[in-house]
Amino acid sequence: MSRAEVGPPHGVRLMTFPILVENVLQSLMAGLLVGAIYGLMCVGLALIFGIMRVINFAQGDFMMLGMYVAYFFFAALGVQPLFGSIFGPYVAAFLAAPVLFGVGYFAHQFLISRVSGTRTAQLDGEGHYAQLILTLGIALILQNASQMIFGSMVVSVRTPLSSTAWIIGPLWGDFIEIFVNKARAIAAIVSLLVIAGLALVIGGTRLGKALRASADDPTAATYIGIDVNFAHRIAFALGISITALAGGLLAPNYPFHPFVGLEYVIIMYAGVVLGGLGSIIGAFWGGMTIGIVQQMSALVLPTQLQNSAIFVFFLLIVLLRPQGLFGRVTERT
Amino acid sequence: MLEIAGISAGYSSVPVLRDVSITVAEGQFVSVVGPNGAGKSTLFRTISGILKPSAGAIRFEGNDLLALPASRRAHLGIAHVPEGRHVFPSLTVMENLELGAFTEAGRQNWKTNIDRILGLFPVLSERRRQFAGTLSGGEQQMLAIGRGLASSPKLLMLDEPSMGLAPTIADFIFDQLTEIRRQTRLTILLVEQRVAEALQTADHGYVLEAGRVVLEGDNQTLRANDRIRAAYLGM
Repeated sequence: MSRAEVGPPHGVRLMTFPILVENVLQSLMAGLLVGAIYGLMCVGLALIFGIMRVINFAQGDFMMLGMYVAYFFFAALGVQPLFGSIFGPYVAAFLAAPVLFGVGYFAHQFLISRVSGTRTAQLDGEGHYAQLILTLGIALILQNASQMIFGSMVVSVRTPLSSTAWIIGPLWGDFIEIFVNKARAIAAIVSLLVIAGLALVIGGTRLGKALRASADDPTAATYIGIDVNFAHRIAFALGISITALAGGLLAPNYPFHPFVGLEYVIIMYAGVVLGGLGSIIGAFWGGMTIGIVQQMSALVLPTQLQNSAIFVFFLLIVLLRPQGLFGRVTERT
Repeated sequence: MLEIAGISAGYSSVPVLRDVSITVAEGQFVSVVGPNGAGKSTLFRTISGILKPSAGAIRFEGNDLLALPASRRAHLGIAHVPEGRHVFPSLTVMENLELGAFTEAGRQNWKTNIDRILGLFPVLSERRRQFAGTLSGGEQQMLAIGRGLASSPKLLMLDEPSMGLAPTIADFIFDQLTEIRRQTRLTILLVEQRVAEALQTADHGYVLEAGRVVLEGDNQTLRANDRIRAAYLGM
């Protein structure tokens, strides 16, 4: 038998190439959409871990709490009857954000502030060991309390948008059509708008500059009249509420349960480190990269290996560019 | 304006300052000189509230400073330019200066102040968009002083502004300090190891050794003192 006879007949090869292109574009689109939401999640953690240098293992669990709060606003507290199933999920997500801002504010005031900020600035490791243990404890309490209160059933915010799609195409004759899930697309656009707004606040306003100064040099920030502990509290609460908002935006597409935080906290830390510590925009691109790698890897790997693909890629970046994709080496000299 | 009465302070249980009293009158230029480890920076950290004294009192324009949290003290009109500059490295030069004007007075007088600061240190104007962490040591020192001036302070506290700088740059910075004084009659409290320069420009001086004030007096008295001449001025 000659080699040529083993391959598919000529006509079949013509058919498969557009399908391959379609699959790649489809995965890329899914990656961009999920990546934008991951990016928002990572930006929340970047405020806390990247900028304030506070280790928060409970970030994913605060996000889980945000998802449940959004769920209850939607299903039980009148958002669905009032705003309908189309706008309702987004209204609910935006209502959950301020609630989690409050949760973050008080968690910082009563717990986190005892192991961070000016109190530990002079200590070895800047209080990181205590933060690790404290936030791990908070994570366990949130997980188990949620299980007691909400039960271990998987729930989701139901909207017709999550099962409908816009179709791009047909492109390239009739061969290629890309499906864009409506719920994901709207969540991605909302994420981008929120990040743009936050970048303006952090970059241009007095509050933003005060936050960055407090992160750069807490003592010097005190000398110029900034209440550093208060700045840290605002940054912590803001970081929690932004991640919670991202959780609310994910809720229509990704059913959740009390232990879902762990899956996301790993993605968040990988994204923040990938983007470069201390950079808000970097954290966004870190999250985006993870979304794209995760979705694209599904083309060649079984679904169970999607998260492994993220970490292989993560290790590669950390090996080749230890300061992260967007980290500046001169920062924090 | 600033009265420090019988301050004792230190880290953990080791006292660094023992019963130190220093007075700065309005419009005065006061220098505190002394060797390494005499407690000069500890004195400044106590005035700024980073360190709580174990005894004594500090009053600023009649206010009890020790009753106020550290972050409120800048708003009273005290600008602390710390040892080692401590500019905000990941913020631009301009953002550093803008943050200097975090106080109410600084915001109100921003226009006048920024013109004066960039006039004194033109290099900051050239580097306004650069990250402060990328500046040279001398430029960072100028930025730190500029940040202090941007708050429209009543009292400017300078901790070793010449530390680690080339002599010509240190001279330039001292010249500009004299210029600031000439323009504004700003009250200045300076801590220095460059004793000759520090005493030359000052109205009044204190010598701090091992946490105690061992000598004080006006410029002429101190420079005529045999001990000062031998130990610090090399004469």
